[in-house]
Amino acid sequence: MSTPADSAEATKIPVAPGDAAPPTGPPPASSEPPTKDPEKEPASSSIAFTITLVVLVGLALFGRKLFAGLFTDDGVRTWATMFVGVTVQALPFLVLGVLLSAALTAFVPASFFARALPKHPALAVPVASASGVILPGCECASVPVSAALMSRGVTPAAAIAFLLSAPAINPVVLASTAVAFPGQPKVVVARALTSLGVSMALGWLWLLTGKGSSWLRMPKSRHAEGTGRLEVFRSSMLHDFLHAGGFLVIGAAAAATLNVVVPREWLDHVASNLLLSVVVLGLLAVLLAICSEADAFVAASLTQFSLTARLAFMVVGPIVDVKLIALQAGTFGPKFAVRFAPATFVVAVGASLLVGWWLL
Amino acid sequence: MKRNVAGLVVVFVGAAIVQLAISNTYLRYVKPGMRWMLLAAGIILILLAVADVLADTRGKEHADDGHNHHGLPRAAWLMLIPVFALLVVDPPALGADAAQRQSPVAAKPVAPKGNSWLANSAQGNAPVPLAVRDYAVWAVWEKESMKGRDFQLTGFVTPGKDGSWYVSRIGLTCCVADGTAFMVEARGHAAPPKNQWVTVTGEWAEPTKRADGDVAALTVSEVKAVTAPANPYE
Repeated sequence: MSTPADSAEATKIPVAPGDAAPPTGPPPASSEPPTKDPEKEPASSSIAFTITLVVLVGLALFGRKLFAGLFTDDGVRTWATMFVGVTVQALPFLVLGVLLSAALTAFVPASFFARALPKHPALAVPVASASGVILPGCECASVPVSAALMSRGVTPAAAIAFLLSAPAINPVVLASTAVAFPGQPKVVVARALTSLGVSMALGWLWLLTGKGSSWLRMPKSRHAEGTGRLEVFRSSMLHDFLHAGGFLVIGAAAAATLNVVVPREWLDHVASNLLLSVVVLGLLAVLLAICSEADAFVAASLTQFSLTARLAFMVVGPIVDVKLIALQAGTFGPKFAVRFAPATFVVAVGASLLVGWWLL
Repeated sequence: MKRNVAGLVVVFVGAAIVQLAISNTYLRYVKPGMRWMLLAAGIILILLAVADVLADTRGKEHADDGHNHHGLPRAAWLMLIPVFALLVVDPPALGADAAQRQSPVAAKPVAPKGNSWLANSAQGNAPVPLAVRDYAVWAVWEKESMKGRDFQLTGFVTPGKDGSWYVSRIGLTCCVADGTAFMVEARGHAAPPKNQWVTVTGEWAEPTKRADGDVAALTVSEVKAVTAPANPYE
């Protein structure tokens, strides 16, 4: 592993030529809590920087020798593989998401959204749901994008509808569903209809119950008027990535733990009861946090379950899972995530039962 | 001169992804098709960090007025945990431990990939090389075309109960989170060490009955230890 070390050395040169040089910010005697102070360069920053650099380079060079005896348990290593695997799989989509959201913030004027969406919020919701078709990516990408939509003045109800529909009904996901269920186009239709319906229902539910309440932390535009567009793009991309990335890691750790701890055999005991199996597969989708482009294949392999239960798995997975709950808590605030996740789950399971009874 | 912690963390995460993508280590965690996405994401992150550092050193006043990104949001430190795991634990590809957590029963295929080519090919003595995931399904669900023929499978050793063992592979659809074990019981040969990669040659055998279904089996005539393939998944 020489690359991380090399790159760190490379960055070190422009950032900190000589560790002994005192920081040029305010004197270390500053009484402000360091991380709360936006304008001044906190003294602890240079300490944190030096420690981080030393620890990381040290680990890159000697980490495996130092900890060679510690992580030998098979279960721990399987967990670590799952954890790194979920992170590595999701990270490119998160980067895509913050790239798009930064581009929305920097290059698309707020007036565009005002023109594109109907004035009345109740009408803006279905339009936003349907436009989820255009974002081909995993669910991780849609969280920063919908946050950017909110900060551009799009009504939260419409942004929520987009957040829920984008990862579920985009062409990549529908195509992979068609491949996973060959000869059963009704599954694709049922999935698209249910996901669209759920996203609209939650958008409207927000209009009825959430409007004006304080528990959604509104993502705000942080940029003063007249800031250069590239500067806005760069700083909002970095900001979004730093905020979402940590929560992605929490979600990946939760998903890995559940993957290793929950035995798959207990699934077989509930497959025969329709209501129970729908709820259990919905919960499984929440716990496993499989990305929406692949969940159809997993659903197809759960052959002991009815199509309705597997539909619930595919409808719940892209809109509420442990990784997403963590990401949403980081982006919209924990109070929002605590209310939003159960509401989404209940509506998704209910809609799956309804559409499954009607179509499948 | 400012010391930019955010840039440092982002550059480390980016460099770790690039390193994964160019060293083939990424194959332990995701599908081969992810390589270019990983490279692109890593390079974008490194560029982002470099741009941030450059903006700093030019001494430009920062436009974002509500946030300090020299000090890091606390959650962002967590991104160093996967980097730490990569550097220190060096997580291996999923193997026998993951397989043991799953049932060795192969699910009935939704649309069986036809193996009619097998029936048409010459009934010679040459063993037919097959993917473990194909054999695990066909040996149970396409019995008739498999009977009395020799096959060659490559996979890792998963110990079972009472000295039995399986030739196994993990199948991925997206990443290791959805890894599904495909297992074939190897009969008539003592078990090699756990996680050893082997190529086994043998004849189709009647599947083993279990409470939750049938498990594919092979009467092994030859076991050869091999090195693990670059892509351990099927």
